[in-house]
Amino acid sequence: MTAVTATREPAVTSDRAVAENSLGRRLVLPAVLLMLIVTAYPMLRALYLSLFRYRLTTPDDRAFVGLSNYTHVLTDSLFWKDMGNTVLIMVITVGVELVIGFAFAMVMHRIVFARGAIRTAILIPYGIITVVSAFAWQFTFSLNNGYVNSWFSWLPGISADTNWFGGHWTAMFAIMVSEIWKTTPFMSLLLLAGLSQVSEDMLEAAKVDGATWWQRFYKVILPNMRAAIMVAVLFRALDAFRIFDNIFVMTKGAQNTESSSFLTYRQVIEQFQLGMGSALSVLLFLSVLLLAWGIVKLFNVDLAAARGEG
Amino acid sequence: MRNIRRRLALGAAVTLTATLLAACGSGNDSRPTLVWYTNPDPTAPAGFKGPFGQAGIAQRCSTDDYRITTQQLPGDASQQRIQLARRLAAHDTGIDLMSLDPVFVGEFANAGFLADIPADQATTLTTDTLDGAKEAATWAGKLAAAPLWANTQLLWYRKSFAEKAGLDMTQPVTWDQIIDAASKNGGTVGVQANKYEGYSVWINALVEGAGGNIVSDVAKGIHAKVDIDSAAGKDAAGVIEKLAKSSAKEPDLSVSNEGTVLGPFATSKGAFIVNWTFIYSNYSSDKTVSKDLGFTRYPRTTADQPSKPPLGGINIGVNDATSHKSQALDALNCITSAKNQARYAAETGNMPSSSAAYDDPALTKTYPAALLDEFRTSIQEAGPRPITPYWSDISSALQSTWHPANSVSPSTPKHSASFIKDVLDGSKLL
Amino acid sequence: MNRTKVGTGVGFAVILVWCLLPIVWILSLSFKPVQETTTGSPHFLPQTWTLQNYKDVLNNSDFTRALLNSTGIALIATALAVIFATLAAYAIARLEFRGKRLVLSLALAIAMFPVVSLVGPLFDLWRTFHLFNTWPGLIIPYMSFTLPLAIWTLSAFFREIPWEMEQAAQVDGATSWQAFRKVIVPLAAPGVFTAAILTFFFAWNEFVLAISLTSTTSARTVPAQLSFFVGSDEFNPPYSQLATASVVVTIPIVVLVLLFQRKIVAGLTSGAVKG
Repeated sequence: MTAVTATREPAVTSDRAVAENSLGRRLVLPAVLLMLIVTAYPMLRALYLSLFRYRLTTPDDRAFVGLSNYTHVLTDSLFWKDMGNTVLIMVITVGVELVIGFAFAMVMHRIVFARGAIRTAILIPYGIITVVSAFAWQFTFSLNNGYVNSWFSWLPGISADTNWFGGHWTAMFAIMVSEIWKTTPFMSLLLLAGLSQVSEDMLEAAKVDGATWWQRFYKVILPNMRAAIMVAVLFRALDAFRIFDNIFVMTKGAQNTESSSFLTYRQVIEQFQLGMGSALSVLLFLSVLLLAWGIVKLFNVDLAAARGEG
Repeated sequence: MRNIRRRLALGAAVTLTATLLAACGSGNDSRPTLVWYTNPDPTAPAGFKGPFGQAGIAQRCSTDDYRITTQQLPGDASQQRIQLARRLAAHDTGIDLMSLDPVFVGEFANAGFLADIPADQATTLTTDTLDGAKEAATWAGKLAAAPLWANTQLLWYRKSFAEKAGLDMTQPVTWDQIIDAASKNGGTVGVQANKYEGYSVWINALVEGAGGNIVSDVAKGIHAKVDIDSAAGKDAAGVIEKLAKSSAKEPDLSVSNEGTVLGPFATSKGAFIVNWTFIYSNYSSDKTVSKDLGFTRYPRTTADQPSKPPLGGINIGVNDATSHKSQALDALNCITSAKNQARYAAETGNMPSSSAAYDDPALTKTYPAALLDEFRTSIQEAGPRPITPYWSDISSALQSTWHPANSVSPSTPKHSASFIKDVLDGSKLL
Repeated sequence: MNRTKVGTGVGFAVILVWCLLPIVWILSLSFKPVQETTTGSPHFLPQTWTLQNYKDVLNNSDFTRALLNSTGIALIATALAVIFATLAAYAIARLEFRGKRLVLSLALAIAMFPVVSLVGPLFDLWRTFHLFNTWPGLIIPYMSFTLPLAIWTLSAFFREIPWEMEQAAQVDGATSWQAFRKVIVPLAAPGVFTAAILTFFFAWNEFVLAISLTSTTSARTVPAQLSFFVGSDEFNPPYSQLATASVVVTIPIVVLVLLFQRKIVAGLTSGAVKG
């Protein structure tokens, strides 16, 4: 939506063009309808409900309150704390994934043996159910059943009694590890695709000109991968911003590890606060739009154009 | 004529399969089916024949007029509440009977989700129900759901440890005494202090034990009186602070629950745990622990007042929107009969809410008389969590302000009181 | 030169460990007896090995029912989503029509949509249409949310197809149906197949809607069932059984990955290569 810039539409003149136009529209119609039923109506409904004080278990207490749900949410410390957690998780996980993903992509790009094996290995975390990943890492960091404390007890601050889910930062760390583990493969595959687009000739030329490894990386590889990096960052950042499954399984939001999605879920589903929860839903949606817009602007690539005109 | 009946039966069978995908088809059974949403029971022991636990009760209570089938809810009580409330709010007729944790009886009754139990039936259902269990099933002066079983916490201890520490366990003990005894002798005190309902259970028991309440005047809904900022609240905070700062705490105190304390209790550091009735059978395969396992009344918050042990359990409610209301109400009598309670208790270890059931041979042959007496008294004199439609909010607000346990200080009650008030009048998010 | 080779070798090993360690870990846990994990077992490998967990999990009717739900819902959603996406992607890759960019932008927006924002209203809507706690109640949103990815992937594939070959075949005397079947279908099939796998992964993995729009085993899928997993007693999450269930539901993923790794990688990267 944000990536749209006004461009030429095909001029509908000839009969053939008219027929093509109508066929095209008919072919996309079912997909468009399906996407809209599940998103547009519920979003409008959330917008409407967000103007009410309305709780499912006290239906008599329903009243129109205007924008006060929004003002309550926006002035509430919990909302901002959770937003802070979400942004922190997003920035750290995407940042770490970019670095590790790049390293992985380099290895996969260079490697001449066992390409199938490495592809298989890297696709397993990608394909695995997030809930399963969350369990695997929860058990890894578990005080009674995990191996982290015994394997890493030589590190300062880690002992047999280190209770990872007992403190804010350690619990956040565990959540981020699960998130990073599961999604780095996706990142590295996208980066690998970008890497294969960088012309070897240009790299060779830069080498001949005496560019160091770092200069080649910075001046040749990165600029040529801008689109790939942006796609990777965009999709991963939005994904990380919506983080829910890992938190649900690992901490249920304890130790202030709650994300914005989790907060919204709790208001709507656990507390039946349809009014307040809808306001949060709308705000979450707006944050995602804003974030997407920001990333697209930052990289200055027209995604829809890349796909549409091809 | 025959043709019509067959067609009707066929129609009924089709509707049934359509609405109840999971329940096995009943063939040409023309009795209405009552669907009972149950909380999960423990797994049946190996070799157990036939339906177990609540499914067993459902079978025994099916009559010529109706058939009862069960559907299982998630294990976590708050998940049970969510699943049920969302469907009840939608006037879903697919639920006839439901197993309710006492803490959401108030909420469900207030929202009109539960069918009225006629006064005379209510009297019959509760003639010999233990006081604590009855209190926890009552909303606005009326019985809202029929108690099926009641849970309570005791203080479980290792006899050898208490002996070593020189603590006389035949007399009521206080939290101060057990924390001191454990910390001086290298033992631990297991409690429930993760950020979840179990922590609210502990806080409530401590406050009640000091003669106070978390909230009162609950009939006023969101304008209920918040009482936790009181001497009793400070006493409760004192106990938690003392344990959290003592060497008697378990390392995973901030994520501890009923399950995490089991392992440490079986080790050489195991000394005391407060926990539900299931502990008695939990260590049956571990002879060292089971021989050394002692039990007594829940610890006192203050030396001069008897403790108010926590209360849990399950009450059976009837969906107000069901199309089989009279049959479902009728089924309550059989489901919660003393006979069924005793048999259910013998099967699952979930103790009866009916006083008479404790004398049933089904129970007396599996449990020591002293333990049954302790359970019965503990339920009778329990201090249930406040019955209010807003308990889940109050409980979450408590957890937000009292968790982690090592942050609790004398100012916590005051802070939590103002937070609970803000949450109730909708000016703070939870 | 040699240094790069060594680096690549080390990198290879690191990637394998990174990707597989947690898998080996849940495998190992799944062979630990429940008592061992309940009392606490910080060892990586089981002290005693048992197959009991597998027996228990596969005899757990709630779990097998969830497997059935997951499989059915994911397969149906995948099949339908791929059909609709193929139509749309064909139009986008091959035809000029007004609103093409709008469709693409919509797909992009949906791909970014915070699903949690929808659960409340969707719950109300599904209740009204009696879709709550049913297969279609999950299939419809899964289709909607996988369509963007499928359209994206397919349009990238379709654009690579040399459509002139179709006309060439027709010139050579084939009917247009023959031309389509003999020439275009074999070329398009890998793309469609890839889109199907990615869609299946999504539907198999989805959690938020699965816990919000179901309430009994009649429609609850595996991720939701896992998070509600009930062990032999209510207070102890049966770690090793959870791990076992996790292993069981990961097997289909591993099989798909083993068989189709090349296609999956092609599909995942098709969106990024162009640009």
